[in-house]
Amino acid sequence: MSGKRHLDIWSLVTLGGFVIVVAFLLYPLFDIFRYSFIDKTTGALSLGNYLTFFSRKYYYNTFLHSILVAVATTFLSTVLGLPLAFFTSRYRIFGAPLLNTLAVLSLLSPPFIGAYSWVTMLGRNGFLRRALVSMGVILPPIYGFGGIVLADALQFYPFVSLMAAGALMTTDRSLEEASRNLGARSLRTFFSVTFPLILPSLTGGALIVFMMSLSDFGTPMIIGGNYLVLPTLAYNLYTSEVAESPGMASTVSILLMVCAFVVIILQQWISSRRKYASMLMNRPRPQRLHGIGAILAHTLCFFVVALSTLPLAVAVYYSFRNTNGPIFTSGFGFDSYKAIFFDVPRTLTNSFIFSFVAVALIASVGTLLGFVIARRKRLSVHILDPLLMIPYMVPGTVLGIGFIVAFNRKPIYLAGTGVIIILTYFIRRLPYSVRSAASILKQIDPALEEAGINLGSPPARTFRTIALPLMKAGIVSGAIMSWVTSMNESSASILLYVGKTMTMPIKVYLSAMDGYFGTASAMSTILLLVTGISLYLVNRWMGGSNEAIVGS
Amino acid sequence: MTSIRIVEVEKSFGVTRALKGVTLGVEPGELFTLLGPSGCGKTTLLRTVAGFHRQDSGDIFLGDELVNDMPAYRRETGMVFQNYAVFPHMTVFENVAYGLRTRKIRGAEMSARVEAALKRVRLEGYGARTPDQLSGGQQQRVGLARAMAIEPRVLLLDEPLSNLDAKLRVEMRGEIRDIQKHLGITALYVTHDQEEALAISDRIAVVESGIVQQVGAPWAIYKEPSNLFVATFVGTMNLLEGEVAGPAEGGRVRVRAGNIELRVVSPPAEFAGRRLVLGFRPEDARFEPPEGAENRLDASVRTRTFLGSIATLELDVAGTTLIVEYHRPESLDELRAGGLARIALAPASILLFDAETGRRIVTPAGAAP
Repeated sequence: MSGKRHLDIWSLVTLGGFVIVVAFLLYPLFDIFRYSFIDKTTGALSLGNYLTFFSRKYYYNTFLHSILVAVATTFLSTVLGLPLAFFTSRYRIFGAPLLNTLAVLSLLSPPFIGAYSWVTMLGRNGFLRRALVSMGVILPPIYGFGGIVLADALQFYPFVSLMAAGALMTTDRSLEEASRNLGARSLRTFFSVTFPLILPSLTGGALIVFMMSLSDFGTPMIIGGNYLVLPTLAYNLYTSEVAESPGMASTVSILLMVCAFVVIILQQWISSRRKYASMLMNRPRPQRLHGIGAILAHTLCFFVVALSTLPLAVAVYYSFRNTNGPIFTSGFGFDSYKAIFFDVPRTLTNSFIFSFVAVALIASVGTLLGFVIARRKRLSVHILDPLLMIPYMVPGTVLGIGFIVAFNRKPIYLAGTGVIIILTYFIRRLPYSVRSAASILKQIDPALEEAGINLGSPPARTFRTIALPLMKAGIVSGAIMSWVTSMNESSASILLYVGKTMTMPIKVYLSAMDGYFGTASAMSTILLLVTGISLYLVNRWMGGSNEAIVGS
Repeated sequence: MTSIRIVEVEKSFGVTRALKGVTLGVEPGELFTLLGPSGCGKTTLLRTVAGFHRQDSGDIFLGDELVNDMPAYRRETGMVFQNYAVFPHMTVFENVAYGLRTRKIRGAEMSARVEAALKRVRLEGYGARTPDQLSGGQQQRVGLARAMAIEPRVLLLDEPLSNLDAKLRVEMRGEIRDIQKHLGITALYVTHDQEEALAISDRIAVVESGIVQQVGAPWAIYKEPSNLFVATFVGTMNLLEGEVAGPAEGGRVRVRAGNIELRVVSPPAEFAGRRLVLGFRPEDARFEPPEGAENRLDASVRTRTFLGSIATLELDVAGTTLIVEYHRPESLDELRAGGLARIALAPASILLFDAETGRRIVTPAGAAP
């Protein structure tokens, strides 16, 4: 298939890929880059913003905060995730599938849900705090560093547990048997054989957590109080700066991207060394535990998952409490749901329509570009491939700022439209879709497509009749995952929405900030339900594999 | 029936030169094999004929038509793939019908041609099955039927048997040849398996490093290899390097190779004083030769390997190792490791090569008996 010099459909697809990357990625990012070097008062090029950032404590502290939060979240996620992974993959844990489902659900739970649920539990007037106070236990305030780390770690730890469990389930059992045969005890075998084998996956998962908490905007916004991190600083600066010249916000965005870039490079480097997941001839069989060991293992696993599920349960519970405005009254009912359906039905339809259109775009464009990446080995494709991965390292807040700066003027004027929201969903999710399509194709023998060509099918027809049907399952499950993330997207769209383009996650945020926990909870519960149903469909489609989920 | 002509075809991948000016002609109805080790360029050549690669220079003709700029999907070559490439999301019937559908052949004619193709590969009644219900051999039959159903101008087979087990491989190669001869279709066949090539081909091109080393009928390739590469790649060849040790007498000359001296057919005069490589096949050693036989050698048996109908022996002759075949393994006891063996080599069975160029030196009696 390679080597044909004439233009065909795939040359056009490659060209389209470049157009998308330039117009909706490089152009807005370059705008941010440019503004970060422009002096606000004089309009001249200068390093002033950067110098200000690193000389004023208010600014450089947020940088340190971001790093501290990300490090602490990563550490806590590993502490929670690794034992869970170990016990559920190596021992028979009663209810392991349920634990797995709940962990995935909290991973993909709507934004802010963890943050404001912990506020309702442990905030100034939280029910859990009052209960503990009555028992004489005084906890430190939840707002700030501790709250952010708690909420983030309990949402993101499944990245660690799922990836570590994946590695633990695919290490060759005979390696551990060899270690024991050579005289090493269980603990020594774990640390000298098992742990080094899963270390690449473990660090891979941990770095994703680092990245997620570094770029997380919603949680620090709600539970951070005065403890600012880079995304919240950028947001605050942006909303207070005049939109014409978002100088300092741009500088913060660039710094945030640099951090993300370093993490991505690290992650790539580590995953390139991940060569252990070898032949699966000798998968480890889960062992049965007895006595005190069984009790301890079960307690630990259930405790971790219960803790991460707690905020979701609290949100569902409060969504059914009767309310009077922001105040919860006694009894249960559908007040909060009624409020949503009667006051802001537009929010629901917006979310569904924007996500649906975005997913259609993501799935089709992603599949076509994935095909080009996987099957066309030429210079233009080798250039396009890494460009398509850029959104992966652009935090939502940064992309939001870039979009609003770039598309608030000619030639592309999109401010205040639904299109700009759809585009953010599309761009943010595109790398995953391209990657997943390309990796599905790598498992399909290219000879099948060559056979189609050889039998007389032109390239487009071969793609439609051979490649596409074989990719279907992967595309559908990828599309459902895109649907989940689009429905829950908030960090970019929160900068771009106007009244008529408000979406569900944004309404959750606004309600939570205004103290309307009932509305926020009901909205979150709906999102949670959509997420749960979607995950169920992915699971059925992929036969219970976590791959599609971890890949997101 | 269509011929294939490949003229001065060059192809590079980056800095790797895969084909260095290949010229070949395949006659109509011929089963022509490209034989060579992996990475020699034989598959690249086949795929260039199919249109999956575009040559950097040179021409490819199918019949009288120059197809250089014709895209693969219009070349009407029927290709059979190493990994079968049977479409897993289609039934056997749909697989075979695929090429007919692209040609807008529908309805009764399509069904008839699919059934005929399946019958030819002995898969009648398998149409409704899906590929995962078939064995490897059956899948490759589907691949063959699919390629033939479109009545292609030429059949291209890319190591079609290499994923099958040994016994099935032998069975299938016979079938492929029968079908090819029955249809009278021109076939270009790629394999790295020399036995398969010898068994199936009308003619063979031995390819190495992107260069055609020799083209010829199977027996010629085996008995008259044109150079040391062909001699050692096809079959086993014992090689001894040495030089002429005395004047020619009676059409014979003595050559000294290490501690062994052998009488061989005199090379032409222009090779006087050149270093020679002597080669002989394991089956050319004669056991228990009569007194006075030429080139009698006393050897000690180093190892022996029983292979059923024959045994191979590794002999030590004055410090040189020779591989020979023994055809009466029932009396093998006489030839146990550490024992003695006496062999003789007829001068006419010893091939001469120029040590410098590796080319075979053609001698008057050097041809096959």
